[in-house]
Amino acid sequence: MGDRDITVNINGKDITVPATMSAIQAVWHAGHPRVHGVGCLEGVCGACKVFVRRAGRSIITTELGCQTMVEDGMQIIFLVFPTPNHHTYQLDDFKNSWDTQAQFHQIFPEAAHCRHCGGCTKSCPVEIDVEHGVNLATEGKFREAGELFLECVMCGLCLTSCPEEITPNHVGLFCRRITAYFHIRPSNLINRLEEIRKGEYRIVEG
Amino acid sequence: MSEGIPRKMALQNYFKGKGSRALPPEEVDIANLLEEYHPDYYEDTLVTLQTGPNKGERCHKDLAAILQADALIDDTDLAGAFVHETDLLVIGGGGAGCAAALAAAENGARVILSTKLRLGDSNTVMAEGGIQASIESGDTPMMHYEDTLKSGHFRGESRLIAALVMDGPEVIRWLIQKGMQFDQNPFGDLLTRRAGGTSHDRVVYCRDYTGLEMMRVLREAVRNGKTEVLEYSPVVELLTNETGHCAGAVIFSLDRAAYLLIKARSVIMATGGIGRLHLNGFPTSNHFGATADGLVLAYRLGARLKDIDSFQYHPTGMAYPASMAGSLITEGVRSAGAHLLNGLGNRFIDELKQRDCVTAAILRECAEGRGIVTDGGNRGVWLDTPTLERENPGILERRFPKLLQRGKICNIDPAGEPMLVYPTLHYQNGGVEIDENGSTTVPGLYAVGEVSGGIHGRNRIMGNALLEIICFGRRAGNKASETIHGRGHKKFTIEHTKNLSRELTNAGLSMEIKSPTLFPDYANFGIKQ
Repeated sequence: MGDRDITVNINGKDITVPATMSAIQAVWHAGHPRVHGVGCLEGVCGACKVFVRRAGRSIITTELGCQTMVEDGMQIIFLVFPTPNHHTYQLDDFKNSWDTQAQFHQIFPEAAHCRHCGGCTKSCPVEIDVEHGVNLATEGKFREAGELFLECVMCGLCLTSCPEEITPNHVGLFCRRITAYFHIRPSNLINRLEEIRKGEYRIVEG
Repeated sequence: MSEGIPRKMALQNYFKGKGSRALPPEEVDIANLLEEYHPDYYEDTLVTLQTGPNKGERCHKDLAAILQADALIDDTDLAGAFVHETDLLVIGGGGAGCAAALAAAENGARVILSTKLRLGDSNTVMAEGGIQASIESGDTPMMHYEDTLKSGHFRGESRLIAALVMDGPEVIRWLIQKGMQFDQNPFGDLLTRRAGGTSHDRVVYCRDYTGLEMMRVLREAVRNGKTEVLEYSPVVELLTNETGHCAGAVIFSLDRAAYLLIKARSVIMATGGIGRLHLNGFPTSNHFGATADGLVLAYRLGARLKDIDSFQYHPTGMAYPASMAGSLITEGVRSAGAHLLNGLGNRFIDELKQRDCVTAAILRECAEGRGIVTDGGNRGVWLDTPTLERENPGILERRFPKLLQRGKICNIDPAGEPMLVYPTLHYQNGGVEIDENGSTTVPGLYAVGEVSGGIHGRNRIMGNALLEIICFGRRAGNKASETIHGRGHKKFTIEHTKNLSRELTNAGLSMEIKSPTLFPDYANFGIKQ
């Protein structure tokens, strides 16, 4: 195969593995059990949050363990923590879209306290401009904010890095949900629902 | 296996425009193509089941091994276990489980949802292509019905398919009201793309993140509701009452390393598929937890299974770099017009044939030496994304951001270089036999989503899985919540596991293997370590 073996330190243990592996594959390859913090293995579920420090660098980055290729001298720590959501809301309680902005600030009162420290944006493993998204949401620009969070994997790293305990990922998701709830009214779908309601379609089995 | 064309040489062929991009001749004998190259037909992979409700029927040998295996626990493990009581236990935290829990909770049922990993850790979150619903003028539910039946080689259950296609548009409405976004045209109509093997554009989508968008929304809705969620809580056995009615489950809490008894009036199984068993040595596009636990647990309790010799190998899993092997590239890319090319630069199949045909054709190219081989020994064919982008500038960014993100991680620019793809184990076509409310042959036990069988026959079309999980998840959730006012069960036992041991011994089968599997062996994790 010609794979070059390299040494990485994962959760305090030095392990030697081929350089073609992700952090999770490396842990398994070395024979260590790992179940917590493993999910889709494709970069979309946000389970495998890791701290990463590359050889010769002082900066620590937050990444996803299934998407991080091991490098010689790399240090990796798996971050397994629950991601509580301390806000509760029901979309059905929103009766009038004119009131959305006021209700948003009742549900997410911290969002307006953003100190613009940039911690959330820096911590995002999928490179969303999180802080900008939160600020757009506080201004009531829900559709625009929600679009920024399209690729959000709900890993929760942004909320752990926020000194004001804003939950930016849930803010982003709220923006996307409220947009769909009030504003997606497709005529092709509504037409078809109407036709079905009137009994215009039947399935002839056989 | 025969040789292939080295990746560098194949890239040269590609860039020099060698080969013919003309549509290849129509496959005249599809049955023959499948028989010769589709993994379902590999020699020596099927065995005959010797115990259980499907005794005498054919089954993949790796699945048979765990269907006919001993239980993980016995009565002694239950001494001192914590006990919870609820109306409805939902097992599995993917789309089907969440839809069932939401529907039941809205009906006033007390619901516990227990999941092996975290809420939302599932194949749902990884779905890309979209969800089927006949909403375009010119399309009808009947056409959707016929496409589903035909692509499944006429082996699907007509009653289930009828329920599925008629629910389609309402399912999309329900999702939008839960806060899910779909891609729209400038006038607000939903955009649709065509699935391979179908007669009309019918798949609605959210870029190539449809599953992620759906799962985010469903998880948030469950979290904000009254359902009690138990994470890192795999089910290791089901409970029965005095009459063989399913009456709850035994859970092993990974966080507490302790057993938990959940007594429930009914149980909805939504545990997903089997990909992490890597049948026939294939890579998989599946989630870490997809180890067929639900099939094992239901079978043990006497539920009949269906089509357990039929699995879907998605044509376009990533084949390079090796660390990403098996990761999915959505059929949407082919639907948008991307071609498949072999190492000589030729097209070799109509890319929008049904999935099993396209897969068999890719395997044929590789077997006959026209595939591409990397230095590391990985094989595959090209997915021609650069031509797609050239002919539709900006389409990758507009429609397939996940593909671009994936490219970034492996230093491949899909707009400049074709992607190497190879079939990846994607879906369990069959599963637990159900009726149109998700009821299995065991009273009190429902099965929904990938763990259930009967809708897709022997081959599923893109977008029917996401539709199925919501459609049948809600149906089962509604049906199961009808029982909450009845008298509860008197007895809660795992006595059926003793019968199982006896049956295995009588059939001369090994008692060494224990199941459910819970985690793939490469994770180095067992609950009794």
